[in-house]
Amino acid sequence: MSLEPFNRLVRLAARAFYDDITMKGDNQPKAGRGDNRGMAVVVLDALTRRQWVREEDLAKALKLHSKQLRRTLRFFEEEKLVTRDHRKETAKCAKVFSAAVAATGDGQKILKEGEEKTKLHTHSYCCLDYAQVHDVVRYRLHRMKKKLKDELDSRNTIQEYTCPNCGKRYSAFDALQLVSLTDDYFHCENCNGELVAESDKLAAEEMGDGDDNARRRRREKLKDMLQKMEEQLKPLTLQLARVKDLPVPEFGSLQAWEARANAAARASGDSSAVDSTKSSQGQGYGGTPMPFLGETRVEVALSGVEVKEEDTESDTKATAVKVLPPWMIKQGMNLTKEQYGEVMPVTKMDESSAPIDDKKSKDLKEDEKSRQDEYLKAYYEALVKRQKEQEDALKKMQQESETSRASKSDFSNGDSEVHAERQVGMKAKREDDENDDVEWEESPPAGNTGGTYKLADLNVEANASSDDEDDIDWEEG
Amino acid sequence: MFFHITLERNMQLHPRHFGPHLREKLVAKLMKDVEGTCSGRHGFVVAITNVEDIGKGLIREGTGFVTFPVKYQCVAFRPFKGEILEAVVTMVNKMGFFAEAGPVQIFVSNHLIPDDMEFQSGDMPNYTTSDGSVKIQKDSEVRLKIIGTRVDATEIFCIGTIKDDFLGVINDPGAAS
Ligand SMILES: [Zn+2]
Repeated sequence: MSLEPFNRLVRLAARAFYDDITMKGDNQPKAGRGDNRGMAVVVLDALTRRQWVREEDLAKALKLHSKQLRRTLRFFEEEKLVTRDHRKETAKCAKVFSAAVAATGDGQKILKEGEEKTKLHTHSYCCLDYAQVHDVVRYRLHRMKKKLKDELDSRNTIQEYTCPNCGKRYSAFDALQLVSLTDDYFHCENCNGELVAESDKLAAEEMGDGDDNARRRRREKLKDMLQKMEEQLKPLTLQLARVKDLPVPEFGSLQAWEARANAAARASGDSSAVDSTKSSQGQGYGGTPMPFLGETRVEVALSGVEVKEEDTESDTKATAVKVLPPWMIKQGMNLTKEQYGEVMPVTKMDESSAPIDDKKSKDLKEDEKSRQDEYLKAYYEALVKRQKEQEDALKKMQQESETSRASKSDFSNGDSEVHAERQVGMKAKREDDENDDVEWEESPPAGNTGGTYKLADLNVEANASSDDEDDIDWEEG
Repeated sequence: MFFHITLERNMQLHPRHFGPHLREKLVAKLMKDVEGTCSGRHGFVVAITNVEDIGKGLIREGTGFVTFPVKYQCVAFRPFKGEILEAVVTMVNKMGFFAEAGPVQIFVSNHLIPDDMEFQSGDMPNYTTSDGSVKIQKDSEVRLKIIGTRVDATEIFCIGTIKDDFLGVINDPGAAS
C-alpha cells in the first residue's frame, strides 16, 4: 500500500491544474513581485512528502510567509485536495505533535526546546486527502471532457433557423408556430419561405459568410482543444488508471494520526529522539532505529506471484504470548508455513520468526535457516529490481519537478533522499533479524529510491504498535 | 417536476349561486377555472387537492357579483431545464418531432436526435436507425431531456434532446402492431 502512486497523482494534478494559479492577497497589487504562480505546485509537492503537518512548520520549511501559505491551503481546501484542522493548544500539545512528526520520520524537527510557550495558541494543520484528491481529479477531467464534447456535438444547444428569403431568424422555441401542415419543413411567418437550420447551412455551403466561418472555426478550435487536452493530460489519466484499484492511503483525523504515530514511536522504544541526521549519513542498515520503519510492510513480487512479507519483529525476550493482528498471521503463514505446525501455534508468530535468539532446537534452526536463505535471496533480488524501478520513476519525477520549479527541486530531492536512505536501512534491518548469512547486506543502498513512503503506512502501524521494544537489540546483532 | 403548493385566487360568483350550496358552487367554479391552466410562475395546475380557506365575500358595486378570496392547495407541474421527462410523440417532420408530456409541449429538433437515426417521409413520417430496430413516429413514447424552456405568462414550451445516454424510444406502439 504505497503512497507513491498517489503522490505522483497529486504532483501531476498540481502541474496540470494549479501551475498558473496566483494566490492574490486581497490588498496586494498584482505586481511582478507578487506573482507567485507555481507556489501552489510547490505547496502540494511539499504535502506529498508529509502527512499531517503544522502549517507554520510547513511555511518555515518552504520559506513562505505563513499568511501566504494559509491562503494557498485555504484554496486547496476549497478545491477539496487538502484537509485542515485547527485547534487551540499549549506548548505541550504542540510537543505531542512534534513527536508524532518525528515518529513518522518526517525529518522536519522544527520545534526546538527553547520555543516552548505556555500560552494557548490556535494552530492549523493540514494534510492531503488522497481519497478526495482521486475523486476530485477524476471529476474535473470528466467535466472538462463533457463540456467540450457537448459543445462539439452541439448538444444541449437550441437550434436556430433562418429564412433564406427575408433573413428572419427563429429558434426552436418558435417551432410550434412554424410548423406547416403541407410539408415537413418549417416556414417563415413573414414570407412563408422554407427555413434552414443553422448547422445545416454550415454543412451545406462550406464557403459561407463570416458568421458561418466563425462557427466553423469555433468547432475546429473545440476539436483542437479536446485533442490537446487528451494529449496533455495523458500522464494524469494514466496515473489515475494506475491508482484506481489501489487502496487509498488514509491518515485519519489529526488526533487519530497523532495518537497512532506517537504510540508507534513509544512502542519502538524511542520517541522523538529520532531524527533524520543519523539515517541521512548513509548508515543504511542497522544504524537508525526508525519507529515506523521497523514495522513497515514490504511488498515483494516473486516469480510473478506477489508475496507480501512482514517486516517481522524478533522478540528476544519472547515471554508473553501476544495476540497478533490477523493480517500478520496471514502473511506470516505465507512465509514459513511448516514452521508453525512444528514449533508454535500460529498466533505466536513473533517468536517463531526469531528463533535464533531463542532456545530452539538446533536442527530446526538449520533447516529454517537454509529455507530462509533461499527465500531471502529471491526476496533481495526482487527488492533490487524494485528499487531500480523506483529509481527510474523518481528520476522521471525529478525531471518533471525540476523543469517546473527549479528553485525548489533541490529541496525536494534532498528530502526524498533522506527517506530513501532510511528505507534501505529498514530493509536491511529485516534481513538483520534473520541474523545469518550476511552476503546480501553488502549490496549498495540504492541512493535515490526516495518517495516511497513506506513509513506512511499508518494503518498497518497502528496494529503493530503493540509490538516489542527491542528493535535496537537485533539491529546491533 | 410536480409540486404541491398553496395558491390564492379571488373568485367572483354570480348572485344566483348564493344559497345553501354557495361553498360547493365556489369550489366547483374554482376547479373549472384553475385546473389545466398554466402560469409561468407555477407551471400547469394539474389538480386542486384541497380548499383551505374561503374568505369573506365582497360585493362589487354595480354588478352584484361577490368576490371571495380563496386559498387552495393544488398539484402543479413545471418542467425545468435538465429534467428528464417521458413524453408521447405527437408529430414528426423533417425538422424534428413534437411530443407531449401531459400539458407540456416539447420540440426535439433533428440535430438533437442521434445521428444514426434518419428521417423517413411518407404516410407515417418517422426517424429510424439504419438497421430499423428503433423507430420514432407518432404515438411513440420517448424519454427526453429538457434543454430549454420558454415560459410565457400562460404557456410553457420546451426544447428537448434524445441525444444522450438512456434517452430515446421507451415504447414503440408501431413496432408491436
Ligand atoms: Zn421569411
